Amino acid sequence: MKQNYKKNQQINRCPMRQPSKVMKLERLGSFHQSRLSFTRQLINELKSNKTQFEISKWDIDNNGFGNAVIKTIFNNSIFSLVVFCHSINDEERSDRVIAEKWDMTFSLFKGVPSNIELDKMSKNLKIQELGRHLSKQLTLSRANKSVRIFRKVLDALSNGKQPSKLDINNIGYLVRTTAVYGNGKFGIGDFSFDSSKSVLNKPFQAEMLTVYLIRYFSIELINFLAEKKGGKKSVKLSNKISRHLGVGNATGLGMAPFLINHQELIHKWINTRETAISRVLSIKSINKNTQKQILNYIEQAYRYTSQWNVDDLIQANRIKNLNLDLKDIINCDELLNLLNKDYPLKSLNDYFKNKICMETEEILHSIFIEPFPDIIDDLTNQMGSVEKKSVVVGYNVKEIIEIIKENYKWALSIDVNSSDENYFFWYTSQAKLEPRIGVTNKDDGYEKQLPFDISHQVQKALKILIKLPKKMTASEAMINHPEIRNIVRRIIINKTSPYSEIQDNLVGKQMRPIDLLRCKLSFFGASKYDPKSDLWTRITLFQGAPLPHQLQEESSCDWLFPYLSDA
Amino acid sequence: MLTVSLNEVYSETYKALRSVGIEWGLAKDCANLSRWLVNHDYYFLGSVLKTADLYKEKKLSTSIKENNLNKPLTSALMGLLLVEYVSANKIIWKGYLHSPKFLLASMGLIAQEQNISLVLKNSKNSIIAYTNNQKLYVDTNIFNNLTGYFFMETYEFNNNCNPLSLVQNQRLEVSKINKKCWDRLSSMAFETYVPESEASKSGAGY
Repeated sequence: MKQNYKKNQQINRCPMRQPSKVMKLERLGSFHQSRLSFTRQLINELKSNKTQFEISKWDIDNNGFGNAVIKTIFNNSIFSLVVFCHSINDEERSDRVIAEKWDMTFSLFKGVPSNIELDKMSKNLKIQELGRHLSKQLTLSRANKSVRIFRKVLDALSNGKQPSKLDINNIGYLVRTTAVYGNGKFGIGDFSFDSSKSVLNKPFQAEMLTVYLIRYFSIELINFLAEKKGGKKSVKLSNKISRHLGVGNATGLGMAPFLINHQELIHKWINTRETAISRVLSIKSINKNTQKQILNYIEQAYRYTSQWNVDDLIQANRIKNLNLDLKDIINCDELLNLLNKDYPLKSLNDYFKNKICMETEEILHSIFIEPFPDIIDDLTNQMGSVEKKSVVVGYNVKEIIEIIKENYKWALSIDVNSSDENYFFWYTSQAKLEPRIGVTNKDDGYEKQLPFDISHQVQKALKILIKLPKKMTASEAMINHPEIRNIVRRIIINKTSPYSEIQDNLVGKQMRPIDLLRCKLSFFGASKYDPKSDLWTRITLFQGAPLPHQLQEESSCDWLFPYLSDA
Repeated sequence: MLTVSLNEVYSETYKALRSVGIEWGLAKDCANLSRWLVNHDYYFLGSVLKTADLYKEKKLSTSIKENNLNKPLTSALMGLLLVEYVSANKIIWKGYLHSPKFLLASMGLIAQEQNISLVLKNSKNSIIAYTNNQKLYVDTNIFNNLTGYFFMETYEFNNNCNPLSLVQNQRLEVSKINKKCWDRLSSMAFETYVPESEASKSGAGY
């Protein structure tokens, strides 16, 4: 019998975790995909809206070059993925964002493009950032074939065989994107958050739809090419293998500043996640069916981490510990007893929290919230934000100082004069205008650094503020000292959005940018993080997600941890 | 003419102003005000470039107290701070303003976000603009965006206020702007970037 978990929650039984615990880089860098992730939200939307998919143009030649358009009819709105496939040499294929040629270029177009619009896109999409794009374009993207697997899969299919599951699992995708731009970049349409709109309204849904359609295209393309190459003896990719194929993505520092620049939005994402965790930990009891689901997800997580192989030594070690922890949890004699207790998920959490690593703590949180769509999914409506441009009036100097002393203890504890705490600086590179980090006193560009030294700014502002009359309004303090406007704005936002600030020194020697990337990517729904250094990582999106024709199947939305049996 | 997005208006303005040494917070305010102006079908680009030039030449004031006709307060950079200050301190501010349309944008923003009622008058004490119930109303017959002497204060709305034209969002699509001016803004923004080096490549998927 279905249990009503809304009534079963004891509100505030388990308070949300404090920002001082959550907003540390190491923890943010341990987050995993969850049912709150944007890929999951998109699939849920596509399913509930009974979205239709149609390949409305397929002008691809036998070598895989040409143009295609995939139309989606989504809640009475039409969006088209426009694809151009290009011929490039192997040596021109690169993961670098600064590459200039790609196997494929894409754009998600609002409506159906006319021939004139397609012609314009044919000239501009292939040059990506160097082109000027149409306002009806919602995204701009490009991808390369995975040289490790694309030809192997094509050869297998054209010879009537399915590709090796081991290869499929080791790589996880046929194509890998190196950027998916949205929100007004290079002339494409602006994203306008409007809670009254229902289509692609939640954060990053246009980008996620783009990637989902790229995945669909990549599978259609390989099947098409196999048939052209192998004729009657060729076969199509099996549903099982197709479903285990996602889209790869190589992600570098480009996305890191987003977490710093969009305080209110980041607060909403983290606050939503913490609210979800608090809600499920506050459930008084769960029925046998839900217990079984929890145990299944722990098993799935174990299998998923067993197939998660990376070269990076730090991440490999973390995965190993995570995998061992999950095995210990599965084998724990107390497990069922814990799930039968009052507040079972809290009991389980409390029992293991000092025995497991941070990666395991956070994967358990993803597991805990998975079986409870009725008390979790409404939260996804709170993850978008219209960020205020003005600074909220009404604070005085005394109150700002109090917020600093209460919420920015972490910043005040940093020795901002130490060379280790000034080790890095962030800047924007001339190459593709991407954010980068440099080493202070070693690399060029320090004088053009971005204002990510939050702890330093807080300490400077405090020195100014303590000399001002306590009752002076914050507005007057800022108008007399415009140099503190940037940080006072952040401090005031943090008062009402406490998860808006990463509580570590972002220019300190201990900072690992990969943690910032991982946090954001977990909200995207990325899996199989494969760091290539502290500065960039490969990931997979939509691995395990239903294909368009599988969306209406009963268990189509159940794909938390992608796993391929017999791989 | 060139077509640009609101996001590009914001980001290029922000960076361009940084290139002439304007504080982060003020550059951000001006970028937001520029986006507001574009979104309400006002020109912004020439005024931003002029503001940057005059700022470099020290011909604009950033002081709410020390300003005059020859060195007026820059509303592009200080407009949002000024409306916050007037709103928070509930005072009457008076002084010389350069490019006052940025003050209109500031009034529009604070009205929309914080529902504060403000009134702006010219030297003849005629109401140029006021905000009420999150909306901005402007007397388009009087307002001319020229440097001049202004008064601004908070007020309690009553129905005796002159009915002025409501300023509404014109569009959320792209804006057509002068390419030559845009190229200049972009070249200023480019000055904030650091040339490619081995260090910068390391974050680019090498």
